[in-house]
Amino acid sequence: MATEHDEGVPAAPAALDAVSVERAFWDRPSIGIRARLVLGFLSFVGFAVVVIIGAWVLLARLEDRLRFLEAVDRYTMEIQQTRRFEKNYFLHGANLQDMQDHLAEARRLLVAAEPDAAKVLTATELGRMRRHLDGYESALARLVAGAAGPGAAPAERSAIEAALRDNGSQMVAVALELADKERASVNRTLALFKRLPVVFLVLLLAFSVIVADVLARQMVRPLGRLMKTTERIAGGDFTPLTPSRWYRDEFSNLGLALNTMMRELAHRQEVLVQSHKLSAIGTLTAGVAHELNNPMNNITLTAEMLREDYATLSDAQRLEMVEDLVTQVARAQRIVRNLLDFARESEITTERLDLGDVLRAATGLAANQIKLSGAKIAVEVAENLPAIHGDRQALSQVFVNLLINALDAVRKGGRVTITAGPAREAACVQVVIADDGCGIPAHVLPKIFDPFFTTKSKGKGTGLGLSVSLGIVRQHGGDIRVESEPGHGSSFTVVLPAAMVPRVDPAGSGPPTPTPASRPVPRA
Amino acid sequence: MERRLQVLVLDDEPIVGKRLQPALAKVGCDVEVFDAPRPALERLAATRFDIVVTDIRMDDIDGIEVLEKVLERWPDTRVIMITGYATVELAREAMAKGAFDFIAKPFKPQELRDVIAKAAEALGFAGIAHAVVGESS
Repeated sequence: MATEHDEGVPAAPAALDAVSVERAFWDRPSIGIRARLVLGFLSFVGFAVVVIIGAWVLLARLEDRLRFLEAVDRYTMEIQQTRRFEKNYFLHGANLQDMQDHLAEARRLLVAAEPDAAKVLTATELGRMRRHLDGYESALARLVAGAAGPGAAPAERSAIEAALRDNGSQMVAVALELADKERASVNRTLALFKRLPVVFLVLLLAFSVIVADVLARQMVRPLGRLMKTTERIAGGDFTPLTPSRWYRDEFSNLGLALNTMMRELAHRQEVLVQSHKLSAIGTLTAGVAHELNNPMNNITLTAEMLREDYATLSDAQRLEMVEDLVTQVARAQRIVRNLLDFARESEITTERLDLGDVLRAATGLAANQIKLSGAKIAVEVAENLPAIHGDRQALSQVFVNLLINALDAVRKGGRVTITAGPAREAACVQVVIADDGCGIPAHVLPKIFDPFFTTKSKGKGTGLGLSVSLGIVRQHGGDIRVESEPGHGSSFTVVLPAAMVPRVDPAGSGPPTPTPASRPVPRA
Repeated sequence: MERRLQVLVLDDEPIVGKRLQPALAKVGCDVEVFDAPRPALERLAATRFDIVVTDIRMDDIDGIEVLEKVLERWPDTRVIMITGYATVELAREAMAKGAFDFIAKPFKPQELRDVIAKAAEALGFAGIAHAVVGESS
C-alpha cells in the first residue's frame, strides 16, 4: 500500500484493480505454511496416541481375561477335588467335610467370577452351571443330614449318589467348556496383537503418504503458479495475480510482492516508453523544423513582397498573396500539430484501431525524415484487414521507431516497404517493415532488442527504440520478429492480435469492468 | 544600356518563384522560375544564366547535383544555394563544390538580392549592384 500514491489518480481502472486484488488477498484467513506443517505433524502424533491407547485397552482386557481364565481353572480344580473326595467317600467312607470345604470354595469362586463370566457365557449356560452347583450342594447337604448314619436306606443313598455324580460330571464339563472358550478368546486376542504392528505400520505408511502428498501439493502448486507468473512478466504481461485459494499464506505474500513488482515494472516501462518517445521526438523535430522552414519561407517572401509593393499591386494580386499567407500558415500549423499529437503525454487508452490509419499516421509523422533520407516508401495495406485493439499513440510510436530505423539503414534512393496483412498466426495481423539497406550482422541480431543497445553514433540513438517497441507490442499481446541479411536489408514483422469481431465498443468506454464505486485511495 | 542579369530560380515550392520573380525583376534581372529540377536542367543545358538560385532539398534531383551540372556546363555561372535547417551539412558540401554562397530559409527577398548583388559584382555587373544597393536603402 505504500506505493499507492505513486500510481496517481488518473490511472483509475488499473489502480482500483490492484487495490481490489490486494484487498481480496488480505480478506482471506491466514493459514501459514508453518501452521500446516505443525498440523500435519500433530496429526501424526494424534494417530500414534490413538494406536497406543487402543493397545493399552486391549492389553488391559487381555489381563482381565487371563485373570478370569485363572479363576475358571481354580474353579474346575475345586470341583474336581470335590469329586475326588466324593469318590473316596463312596469307596472308602471318608469324611464329607473335605467335600463341603472344596464345594464352598468353588461356590465362592463362581460368585466372584460371575461378572466376568457373564461376558463370556450366555445366560442359559450360566444358569445351567448354577443349577448343577445348586443340585450338587443340595445332594451333599442331604448326604450330610440323612445318610450319615449307617442305617440309612440304600435306595435313598444310591439316589443321592446318582444326583451327586450327575451334577458333578456336568459341573466339570461346563467348567472345562468355559475354560476352553475363554482360552480360545484369549488366543484370538493374542493373534490380534500379533497382527497389530503390521496393521499399524501399513496404516502409518498410508497416512504419511497422504499427509506428505497434501503438503507437497500445497507447496508445489503455488510455486508452479508463481513460476508461470514470472514467465508471463518476462513476456511483458503485467496483469496482477488474483488469489486462487480460500486462505492466505506465505505464497500469498510472495504473490502480493510480485504484484507490487509488476506495478513498479509497469511504471518503469511507462517511463521508459515516455523517455524514448522524447528522444524520438528529438529526431522527428529536426525533420519538422526543416519542413516548417518551407511554409515560413513562403510566408516571409509573400509578406515582404506585399509590404514592398503594396502600392503598386492590384487588388487581385494583393488578395492572392493574402490567400497564400493563409494557406501557408495552415500548412505550418498542420506540421506542428502532428508532432504535438505524438508528443502529448497521455494515458494508455485502448480502442478499436484500423491498422491502415495507424500506419498512415506514422508515415505522416516521419514524412520529413523520409524526404530528407531520399528513400522511397511504399505502404500496402491488405483489404478487409481485421481491426486491432490497442493504444493509438503507443503503436504509432512503434511504427515510427521501426520506420526511422529503416530509413537510417537505407542509402539514398533505397526502398522501404510497409506491408500490412494477415499474419501466419491465427487471429493475428502483421505489419512488415522491410528495407533494402545495410542489414544487421548476425552477431548483433540477438542483442538488438536489449535496452541501450545501439549501433548508431553517440547522440544519434538512445538504444531504446527497439526495446521500447517490443515492450509496447508485447503489452498488446503481440511480438516482433526480425530477419536480416547483411548487405541486402532487414525486415521487422510486428504481429498483433486481431480484435474479435462481435465486440460492442461504445466510444470511450473500455471493456465492462466491475468498478466498485470509485472511491479515493482507501489507506494511506 | 547594359545587358540585364540572367537569373534562374529553382525551388520546388512554387510560391518561392512566384514571389522572387517580381522581387528580382525590380532590380534589373531577367528571371526564369522553375519548381522542378528536371525542366530546369534541360533549360540550363541549352542556355547560359549568370546566376542560378537553387534549393538543396528536392525530390528526384537535389541541389548539389544541379550545382555540379551547371558548373560542368557553365563554369563561370554563379550558383547560390537555398538551404533549410537540416541541410546545413549539404550547404557546406555545396560550398566546397564551388557554390558562390548559400542562404538559409526562411529569408527575406532583400537578403537574396544582397547575395545576388555580390555575385553580380563578382561577375562585373556593377550596375546591378548599385541598383540593388539603391533599392535596399
